Amino acid sequence: MSAGHVLFTILFVCALGFFAANIQRLIGELQLGHTDDARWNDLPTRFGNFLRIGIFQEKIFRDSIAGPMHAAIFWGFGILTLGTIEFLLGGVIPGFSFQPYFIAPVYAFFALNQDVWAALVIAAVGMALFRRLTKRVKRLQGAETHPNDPLLILSWIAALMITMFAYEAFEMVAHPETLTPMLRPISFGVAMAFSWMSPSAAAVAHDLAWWTHGLLVLGFLNYLPYSKHLHVVASLPNVFLSNTSGPGPKGVMKPMDLEGDLEVFGAKDVTDLSWKSLLDGFACTECGRCTSVCPAHTTGKLLSPRKIMINVRERLESYAHAADKSTVADRTLLDGYITEEELWSCTSCGACVQECPVSIDQLSVIMELRRNLVLGESRFPEEVMPAFESMEQRGSPWAFDPGDRGKWAEGMNIPTMAEMAERGERPEVLYWVGCMGSFDDRAKKTTVAFAQIMQASGVKFAILGQEEKCNGDPARRMGNEYLYQMLAKDNIETLDKYGVRTIVTACPHCFHQIGNEFPQFGGNYDVVHHSTFIESLLAQGRVPIVQELHGPVRTFTYHDSCYLGRYNDVYDAPRETLRRALPVINLVEMPRSKDKGLCCGAGGGRMFMEETVGKRINVERAEEALATGADAIAVACPFCMTMMADSVTSRDANVQVYDIAEVVAGQLRT
Amino acid sequence: MKIAVCIKRVPDMDVRFKIGANGTSVDEAGLKFDISDFDGYAVEAALQIKEKANAGEVVVISLGADNVQETLRKAMSMGADRAVQLKHDAPVFDSFAIATALAAELSTGGYDLVMFGRMSIDTANQATGTMVAELLGLPIITAISKLDFDGGTVKARRELEGSYELVECPLPAIVTIDEGIARPRYPSLKGIMAAKKKPLETKPAQVGEQRYTLDKMELPAERAAGRIVGEGKDAVPELVRLLKEEAKVL
Repeated sequence: MSAGHVLFTILFVCALGFFAANIQRLIGELQLGHTDDARWNDLPTRFGNFLRIGIFQEKIFRDSIAGPMHAAIFWGFGILTLGTIEFLLGGVIPGFSFQPYFIAPVYAFFALNQDVWAALVIAAVGMALFRRLTKRVKRLQGAETHPNDPLLILSWIAALMITMFAYEAFEMVAHPETLTPMLRPISFGVAMAFSWMSPSAAAVAHDLAWWTHGLLVLGFLNYLPYSKHLHVVASLPNVFLSNTSGPGPKGVMKPMDLEGDLEVFGAKDVTDLSWKSLLDGFACTECGRCTSVCPAHTTGKLLSPRKIMINVRERLESYAHAADKSTVADRTLLDGYITEEELWSCTSCGACVQECPVSIDQLSVIMELRRNLVLGESRFPEEVMPAFESMEQRGSPWAFDPGDRGKWAEGMNIPTMAEMAERGERPEVLYWVGCMGSFDDRAKKTTVAFAQIMQASGVKFAILGQEEKCNGDPARRMGNEYLYQMLAKDNIETLDKYGVRTIVTACPHCFHQIGNEFPQFGGNYDVVHHSTFIESLLAQGRVPIVQELHGPVRTFTYHDSCYLGRYNDVYDAPRETLRRALPVINLVEMPRSKDKGLCCGAGGGRMFMEETVGKRINVERAEEALATGADAIAVACPFCMTMMADSVTSRDANVQVYDIAEVVAGQLRT
Repeated sequence: MKIAVCIKRVPDMDVRFKIGANGTSVDEAGLKFDISDFDGYAVEAALQIKEKANAGEVVVISLGADNVQETLRKAMSMGADRAVQLKHDAPVFDSFAIATALAAELSTGGYDLVMFGRMSIDTANQATGTMVAELLGLPIITAISKLDFDGGTVKARRELEGSYELVECPLPAIVTIDEGIARPRYPSLKGIMAAKKKPLETKPAQVGEQRYTLDKMELPAERAAGRIVGEGKDAVPELVRLLKEEAKVL
């Protein structure tokens, strides 16, 4: 064993030890967070996510330019790591190679891949540097980012590849007798360029390149824990442990135990977050995809989901490193890093979560911080107060008389559950109307339209009338878990009193809340959104509609509701409903549609808040809808209806906004 | 400073009322109750005085059956330190009888300041606070929109039609609070949990003689439906005629 091998072995062991210590430190930091349930359940789904999103880079490819670029680096790294293992073992064990352990074609394939992928990585790194330095891609910029870190990392990766080619090539020049050009064609090409060197000079050059490469590898490993590039280590576990693509329904908020003796409500600091949110901070590589799709950010508000995650990691590290723990409380995550204004800008649309290539859940951090503002400190925009008070007093965020909830149905011969129960009957479905559908003049037209469709289709349904209350979604999304649970439990009690099983609703917020979040409190129902329900009625031929096959062609564009689309993956039913109702329809898509759809601006309680900063989100969306040239805009959510109708009619009086139920009802045979 | 705030439990005014079977009360089925609006302002103002001085005590007092305990807890969840229920199961309509009971309680409390809402939003008599002041022989400033202290003096601002006046009197004193002084805070969950552990004392109310009774309660007559006279400018003469002759507003 040469002195070189001894020295390298020492360095290698030290590097591994240092790396292990750092990982230990990071795990210790994660343990500062709260426990989090259900992170090891449903392993098939988790492995599926791991393969799809992690290994096959499904979300990375949502950006068609950066996608292949990153995939080249990622897959390249995976393959080159095998070569690196051979390299490191060769540094410790004199003359080590994988070659004797494999049959020739396998080793040849391995060696060839090393060369090819290293070249692809260099090309991708060049492209990445170009995007950062020359093209200055917008989403990669941002005051919260660490702009020099990626440049260092990219250069480091390039240097790793170059030194690898160098030591392979100089080895060929130094030992021409062992030349195997077909195994490493690119290294061979480099070797050809240096064929003028004497073998002894090439041997020196090889050793120099080899040692440089070796030090770069060990250095890279140990730089990672200090860098945003920690995502190399953290993102795959994060994808596996994340719930943002299942298991379970998406976008569900965790219930708080309000009976227990709580000291902190929601999260004020990183130690109040779950360890999984802290791991999210480690997994973030500041790519900015979340922020680039955030409706608040892109219309000029202060919120940047990326900043939220960067802040989580920054605060966690400063907390963990503080020598004097008594000074730690001076700058908490809330207020010290993240301001109230940022938090209240969020529409909870879930675009950030959808977009994140490593399955980070930015929303849950925002929501936990909101909970602290409201439950702990009673801090929220003052215009929200009437909504809270009204939900509490009247079971609706708007100050309407609960006695008027069923008023829209007067003269329509629609029974209430109470009336049906009295007659000893049970409906096929319960129509959950929701607050907007019950009280808002525009939304009531949708309500009536949907009821007419069900009546015409012979669906036996009932409503709760004044026994229905707000499902609590606005309260929960605005951080008021106390009020939310009160409403949820009241509603579950009412629903269970009548033994309700199947519920249809025209409101995606009610749909998501009752279907996906009520089970947290023992309320289990089959909840169907009216888009799916009408589509299946149409498919069964139960809806008596006029099929105008020769009518004028109408151009529609459909605006996706976040709580229907991203939260529940219902994208096709509303579109299919339109096509079935209007066979000659021309359905055009907005640039941002389906899971990339832009929020209307009303979610997450934003419906009840002023929007004074930047461009109004509904104006941005209306302009996008009008730019398609459609003469009508279809929605499937009363909140979207208000936002779109408000902004569309003031811009183009000729374009109408319809709920899909209104479109179908308009085709009913009279 | 030791402050007492007298609060009343009233129904939510945004709900349509029904008259109860006895014809002299509101049917409480389906109604939600809360602190009367002006009393809520008074609680908030009291809490702000205490917070500004970083000292003192805020005691909330309410007269009524056990359901006022919920109202008292709400005030404590906002931040009041303790509560007193003057228990009286039957409704009392005579402000003077109520004032007598309150005065009896307040006279033993050693309060520097007693606060009332300008009026309750259900019966709107605007009498109780003033009567308590008279019974206790204390100075009173009514319907104030701003409150300040200078040593042992309370300085208050009262809004008048198009102007305002600044009034002061020595402590102890009674004030009744108008809107605009402070928006009542929304109780945090922290406050709600803390309120469950705060002391709520129940005493029999020494209600005075009731010299008047409520005979009958009726809902106002339903407003007649509107009428569309016509469309376009041809309808204007008829509209003007109706406004002059029927509505008599022109």
